[in-house]
Amino acid sequence: MTSLPTDVLVAEKVSLTRGGIRVLHDIDAVFERNEVSTVVGPSGSGKTSLLRCLNRLEEPEEGRVLLDAADIRSVEPTALRRRVGMIFQVPLLFSGDVRSNLRYGLDGLDDQKLVRALEASGLPASFLDRDAQALSVGQAQRACIARALVRDPEVLLMDEPTSSLDKDASARIESLIGSLVADGLTIVLVTHDLGQAKRVGSRALLLVEGTVVASGTPADVEERWPEGVT
Amino acid sequence: MREVATSLILVAIALVVSFRNKLGLEKDLVLATVRAMIQLVIVAALIDLVFEESPVAAGLILLMAGIAAWTSARRMKGVPGAFEVALTSIVLSSGVAMVVMFGTEAFPFEPRWLIPIGGILIGNCMNATSLAGSRLRDEIVDKTLEVEARLALGVSAKEALKPYARRSATTGLIPIIDATKNVGIIVLPGAFVGMILGGASPREAAEVQLVVLFMLLGAVAIAGMVTTILVARRFIGAGERVLPPKSVG
Repeated sequence: MTSLPTDVLVAEKVSLTRGGIRVLHDIDAVFERNEVSTVVGPSGSGKTSLLRCLNRLEEPEEGRVLLDAADIRSVEPTALRRRVGMIFQVPLLFSGDVRSNLRYGLDGLDDQKLVRALEASGLPASFLDRDAQALSVGQAQRACIARALVRDPEVLLMDEPTSSLDKDASARIESLIGSLVADGLTIVLVTHDLGQAKRVGSRALLLVEGTVVASGTPADVEERWPEGVT
Repeated sequence: MREVATSLILVAIALVVSFRNKLGLEKDLVLATVRAMIQLVIVAALIDLVFEESPVAAGLILLMAGIAAWTSARRMKGVPGAFEVALTSIVLSSGVAMVVMFGTEAFPFEPRWLIPIGGILIGNCMNATSLAGSRLRDEIVDKTLEVEARLALGVSAKEALKPYARRSATTGLIPIIDATKNVGIIVLPGAFVGMILGGASPREAAEVQLVVLFMLLGAVAIAGMVTTILVARRFIGAGERVLPPKSVG
């Protein structure tokens, strides 16, 4: 019997230039299976850019990203993005009800699966018929998580998922992150809030100006956080 | 000539009104009148030539398509290869309509018919191309985050752009649909008025106008669809990504 490697996503010497400016320099990173890995750093440090390279929303001009030891460029992009789901900073639901949002791009999904995804995201089954545009920001973010879960991802990339939420809604999302990992998901969480990284993450990668400055536990990288920068 | 001289009386009235009320439009009125007379005399002579010589007529149609594509391309600034997109859309849509209309002998295949029908088609397809292409470009710029949210759910770039392409194609069709719905109620269209003034019966004029409107509906629908398909393709990058326009204006 062969066992899966513990590192599900690996970035090797990833460099990215956008608009003539190099935003990532030779990034090496390993994201372990069934863990919450956090990417922390001040604003503009390249955290989101790195996350976008992990599901090919950005194409790094140097280096490569491996998913289960295979270069992600060898995986069909639509299949890759179902395996590596993404949650954005601002929850974006399309017009229509929650059911049509969850079913977007998927044929023949029964309500049972949709309800399971909703419940795993902390929303009741009755939300399936709710107008997606009428949800609170916190509910919309959970519906976005459910929409990603319906695709049975192995990894969930989360880009500052609580930045537009109030304290209570943020706490609920943080608790949800813990339960998703317990259910077997691997999460890469981008946050500028080191406190959040410490609360939910088992590992942290500190980026400053597109370069890895430190990696280890969130407490380890805290010492390397640049002074006077928030 | 007597009719032209008579109509100049009305220009003279406009000049008097302007002078008495110190509107300062006298110079512009005279200039506009003289220019209109010279331009129309030249155009009449050219059209005479074009109506006699088929190769000149074909050349004029191509020139019209080129100028229309250039005009549309300027409206689609920010779309890579905008001129090629506009030219393909305008030539394909007006070409299909011309083949159908002249091939079935709905109109006689003569320069006298080819030039005005070609002009109407190219002009309307140009408008549809400009409207649909610029709308889709704007949608991609304004809805970049929404498009990426769709891509992140594992759909192809073509699928992710579908809702915006559909809306943009509709935008290009709205003017001709409204014109068709309201024909005869709000305005009397050009072909109808021209035929009545030329001595045709109202029934004959209505028939030709209907043929023109239905022909335009088909051509403009093709222009809208072809434009949005081509513009969408221009923004799809490797790895099922959507690359928003770099500059829009």
